[in-house]
Amino acid sequence: MSRPSLVSLVDDDESVLESLPDLLKEFGFAVNAFSSAEEFLASGSVSATKCLILDIALPGMTGPDLQRELTLRRQEIPIVFITADEDETIRPRMLERGAVDCLFKPVSEATLLKALDRALCVN
Amino acid sequence: MGHEARSTGKPDDPGCATRPDDSSIGEARFREILDGIPGLVITAAATGELELFNLQVLEFFGKTPDELRDWTVGAIVYPDDLARLVEAFTLSMATGCPYDLEYRLRRFDGVYRWFHGRALPVRDPEGHILSWYFLLTDIEDRRRAESLLASENRLLEMVAGGNSISKILDELCGFVEATVTGSYCSVVLVDSTGTRLEHGAAPSLPSTFVTAIEGRPVNIESGPCAMAAYLNEQVISADLALETRWKEYEWCPMALAHGLRSCWSTPISSTIGKVLGAFAIYYTEPRIPTVEDQVLIAQFTHIASIAIERQQSQMSLSRALHELKTSEGRFRTTIDAIPGLVWSAGPDGNVDFLSQAWCDYTGVGLEGAGGSGWAKTLHPEDAERLTGYWASLLASGESGEFEARFRRFDGSCRWFLIRTLPLRDETGRIIRWYGLNTDIEDRKQADSLLAGEKRLLERVASGTPLGSILEDLCHFVEATVTSSYCSVLLVDPTRTHLQHAAGPSLPINFNASVDGLPLVVTSGPCATAVCLNEQVIAADITLDRRWAEYAWCPMALANGLRACWSTPISSTNGTVIGIFAIYYKEPRTPTSEDQALIGQFTHIASIAIERAQGEAALTRSEAFLAKAQQLSLTGSFSWRVATGEITWSEQAYRIFEFDPVRAVTLELIGSRVHPDDIPLMHDMVARAQAGKDFEYEHRLQMQDGSIKYLHMIAHGIVDEVGQMEYIGAVQDVTERRLSDQALSKVRSELAHVARVTSLGAMTASIAHEVNQPLFGIVNNASTCLRMLAADPPNIDGALETARRTLRDGNRASDVIKRLRALFKKTEAIAESVDLNEAAREVVALSLSDLQRNRVVLRSELASDLPPVIGDRVQLQQVILNLLRNASDAMSSVTDRPRQLVIRTEGDEGDRVRLTVQDTGVGLDSEAIDKLFQAFYTTKISGMGIGLSISRSIIEKHHGRLWAAPNTGPGATFSFSIPRGPGAVTGVDSLDTIRTPAAATEAAASWGTRNV
Repeated sequence: MSRPSLVSLVDDDESVLESLPDLLKEFGFAVNAFSSAEEFLASGSVSATKCLILDIALPGMTGPDLQRELTLRRQEIPIVFITADEDETIRPRMLERGAVDCLFKPVSEATLLKALDRALCVN
Repeated sequence: MGHEARSTGKPDDPGCATRPDDSSIGEARFREILDGIPGLVITAAATGELELFNLQVLEFFGKTPDELRDWTVGAIVYPDDLARLVEAFTLSMATGCPYDLEYRLRRFDGVYRWFHGRALPVRDPEGHILSWYFLLTDIEDRRRAESLLASENRLLEMVAGGNSISKILDELCGFVEATVTGSYCSVVLVDSTGTRLEHGAAPSLPSTFVTAIEGRPVNIESGPCAMAAYLNEQVISADLALETRWKEYEWCPMALAHGLRSCWSTPISSTIGKVLGAFAIYYTEPRIPTVEDQVLIAQFTHIASIAIERQQSQMSLSRALHELKTSEGRFRTTIDAIPGLVWSAGPDGNVDFLSQAWCDYTGVGLEGAGGSGWAKTLHPEDAERLTGYWASLLASGESGEFEARFRRFDGSCRWFLIRTLPLRDETGRIIRWYGLNTDIEDRKQADSLLAGEKRLLERVASGTPLGSILEDLCHFVEATVTSSYCSVLLVDPTRTHLQHAAGPSLPINFNASVDGLPLVVTSGPCATAVCLNEQVIAADITLDRRWAEYAWCPMALANGLRACWSTPISSTNGTVIGIFAIYYKEPRTPTSEDQALIGQFTHIASIAIERAQGEAALTRSEAFLAKAQQLSLTGSFSWRVATGEITWSEQAYRIFEFDPVRAVTLELIGSRVHPDDIPLMHDMVARAQAGKDFEYEHRLQMQDGSIKYLHMIAHGIVDEVGQMEYIGAVQDVTERRLSDQALSKVRSELAHVARVTSLGAMTASIAHEVNQPLFGIVNNASTCLRMLAADPPNIDGALETARRTLRDGNRASDVIKRLRALFKKTEAIAESVDLNEAAREVVALSLSDLQRNRVVLRSELASDLPPVIGDRVQLQQVILNLLRNASDAMSSVTDRPRQLVIRTEGDEGDRVRLTVQDTGVGLDSEAIDKLFQAFYTTKISGMGIGLSISRSIIEKHHGRLWAAPNTGPGATFSFSIPRGPGAVTGVDSLDTIRTPAAATEAAASWGTRNV
C-alpha cells in the first residue's frame, strides 16, 4: 500500500460527513467528502476515486442518479451505497444495479471494512 | 220618283192603275188632273225612266224636269236615304212589285222633308207593265208631330223615372237632331245663381265648343245663348260669318272654328216665366229658321222646360222627401237611441216595425223579420217557449216579460229581456203592441258565472278533487263561450313543468302533448304565459312562428286547433299557479267581452286551484307532521296547568307506551319516569306553575326495564281567558344517545386506527431521523477507539470524536423527543407559539421524507411574524399534514419539478397565515367542496381523516383552513389564525382547545396520508 487508495464519500448528513471521513482515514484510506452528487462530479476527484461511498437519498441528484451518470461517463467506480432508511427492498435493487454493497446506517466498522475491501478488490 | 208624263196621266188610284186612254183624255187635261192632285206625282216608263212631274213636284224641288230625271245624283234625295231608295226602286223596276218607303227629299230652299213614297206599276190587260206612277206624300209634319209626341212621352217618362237632367237633355238633343235634318243641338242651363251658363246637353257638338260656352256669364255679350237667356227672347244668327255681336267674347270665331255657321238660341222658361236655360240649334251652313223650325223649336223648348222644371221639382221633391226622411230619421234616431231593440206589432201580433238596432243586431230587416219572421232569430231552445208565450199574450191582451236568446248577425246568441205592452184605443180595443228587447247577456253571464263560481266553490269546499273541479270549470266555460275548447294546466311543484289538469273536450293526444312541457318560453303558449306572467294570444296558429323549437303549432294544428288564448292563473300572492287556455277551431282574437270572461274564469280557477292546493297542503302538512313526529320520534303536547288537562299527540303516547285512549295525567307520566329523575320532574312542574318555559332531559323506565332518554321542551302561552298553557314537544333521544355513544366509540377506534396507521407511516421517517445520528455516533466511537488504540494515542482526535459522539447522541435524543411530543401528547395547551419555529421543526422532521419523494422544498418564512396563541403540537400536526399531502400530491408528477413552498406571513385582521403550495395533481372544484369532509380521500390507501381534523384544529384556534387550485399546476392549502396574545381569549376558547376529545382527534389525525 504505497499510496493510499482514494475513497470518496457523498452524504448530506452533517454527522456522517464529519464522522465517516475520520474513520476511513483511520482505516488508511485517503478520503474526499462531498455533501452532494453535483459537488462530487464537479470536483477533480472522480477519476482518482477507487471507491465511492454514496448516500441514496440526496437532495437534487440522488445516489442512484449519480451511479447512472458515472456509468454514462464511463467512470465505473465501485460504489457502496449507504442509507438511513430501513427499507429492505432497497438493497437487492442497488446490488442489481451493480453496487458493490448497500449498507444500512448505522453501519458497523467491520461491515464497512468488508465492503470497502470488496470494492477495492474489484479495482 | 216620277218624271214628266209624256202624253197621258192617270187617276190617282194606284190600286187599279190602268193605261189611260190617250184618245179620251187629252194631254192638257191629264196635266190638269196631275197638277190638281194634292201631292207630288211622277210618272215613269216601264223601264223606270222618269217621264212626267206634276206641278207640285216642280215647285217643291225648284228644279227642271231634266234636273229631276237625274235624281240619283245631286242634292235631291237626302244622302243617308239615297242608297235605300235606289235599292227599292231598282228592285221594283226589275220585278214589277210596288214599293212603299219613307225618305227625305230636299226642298228648293235646301230643307229636307220626309216623304212617304209609293211606286205603282200601270199594266195592260195582259198584265204587262206599261208605266210607273210615283206618289210622294209629304209626311214631314205628321212625322214631326209623331216624333215630338214620342219624344215628349219619352222625355217625360225619363223625367218621371228620375233620370238625371243631363241624360234627359241629351236625349232631347238627340231627338231634335233626328227630327231636324242637319241640325246640331245643345241645351245650356242657367246656374242656380242666375249669372252663369252651365252644361245641359250637347251630345253631337265638339266638346271643345261645349266647354267654351259653359261658364259664360249670362249677359248679352258672351254669346247667343247667354244673350237669349239674359233677354228671355230668341236670338237668331243666320250666318255667323257675318255676325257682329258677341265680339267681346269672340264667340263667333270660336263657333266658326268648330265649323258652325248659324245659331238659333231660344230661351227655356219655366211656367212662371223664369229663364231656366237656352235651347240652341246650330247648322254648318247659314240658315234662318222657317216657320216649321220655329214651331219645332217652340215645342222642344217647351219639352225642355218641362223636363228641366220637373227635374228641378223632382229634385226639390227628393229634397223634401229627404228632409222628410231625415225627420223620420230623427224619430228613428230617438227610437234607436233607446238602449234596446224596439219593435211593434199589429193587434194580430204581426210585427210591422223593427228599430234599426233590432235589424243591426239580428242582421235581418223588416222584410225578413216582419210578421212572425222574427221567431227565426231566436235561439232554437227558446223559440217554442217564446212563440207560445207571445200567443198567450195576444190571446189575453196582457203585457208580458220574457227572457230569451236572440241570434246575432254573427251567429252568436245573447240573452234579452223582452217586455211587451199593448196599446188600446178609447174603446179598450188593442190597436198595437209595442215591445222592447233589452240585452241582459252581461247580467245573465254574471248570474251564470256567479252560479258557476258558487257551484265550483261548493265543490272545492266539499273536497272534490281538483282535476274534477277544473273539468267542471272547462265544461262551464265551453257552455258559456260558444264553440270554445278549454283547458287548465298547472305549474308543477318544482316550477319546471306544466301539468295537465283538465281539458275535457280537447283531444287526448293534445292534452298529452302539452302535459309535462318544460316551463320555458319556447315550449308553447301556455309555458310562455307562465314564464312571462302575461296573456299569450295565438290568434291564428297557422301563422304563428313562436314555439317552433318545440313544434307546438304543428301539434296543435294536427289536433284541429287554430287559435289559442293562454292566460296565467295567479294565486293571491301573485305567483302563477296555472294556465287557463281557450282554443278555437277557427282563427280568433279575443274581444273585450271575451277578455272580461277570461278574467272571471281565471279568477274562479285561481280560487279553485288555490283552495284545493291549500287543502291539499294542509292535509299534506298534517300528514307530514304526523309522519315527522313519527320519524323524529317527537311527540307534542299541550298542558293546561290550572286544570291539569294534558293533550298528547299520537306519537307522545307511542313514546310513553301508553294506550292512546287513556287520559294523560301527571301521575300517569310519573309512573314512567325513571326513579332517579323524579326530582327533575318535580322541578319541571314547579317551573311550569311559576309560568316559566322549561327544557329537560330525563329518562323513562319502561315496563320491560329498558331505558328511554327523553328531551322535552315547552313554551308557555296565556290563552284568551288568562290561563297558562304549555305547548311542548317531547323527543325520544334514546337512539341519539345510543348512537352518540356508538359514534364516540367508533371515533376512538378510528383514532386508534389512525394513530397506528400514522405510526406505521412515520416509521421510515423516525428511522431515518434516528439512524443518521446513530451512524455518526457509531463512526465517532469507532474512530475514537482507533485513535486511543494508536501508538501513540491520538488524544486530541479522540477527544474531538468523543465530543461529536455526544452531540450526535443529543441529536438522536431530540428526534425522539419531538416524535414523542407528536405521538404521546394528548393534552392540548394554549401557549404562545412562533409559527416559523413550529414550521421549521416540522420541515426538519419531514425533510428526509420529502427528499425521498424528490420534492424540492423552499421555505419563505416571514422574519417579523408575530406569535400566535394555541397548541404548538396541534398546529405542527396540521403543518405536517399539509406538507405530506403536498408531497403525496406530487408523487406521480414526472414532467415538472416537484416543488413545495412553505410560507408564513402576516394576514389581514391581525392574523397569521401559513401557506403550503405544491405543483402536484391539483384539485378540481368538486373535490374542493369535499376535501375537508371526514373519510373523503383521493388516495387509494388513505383514511380520509387528516384534512377534516386539521380543519377542526384550526377552527378551534378561531382560524380558517382552505384550499385553492393554483393558476399553474398544483394546489395551495392555507390556514390563517389570529395572532396572540389576546387573539385567543377567555375560558371558552381555552376550554375548546383543551377539550380532550379534540386533542385525541388531533393526535389521531397526525401524519395520516389523507387527501
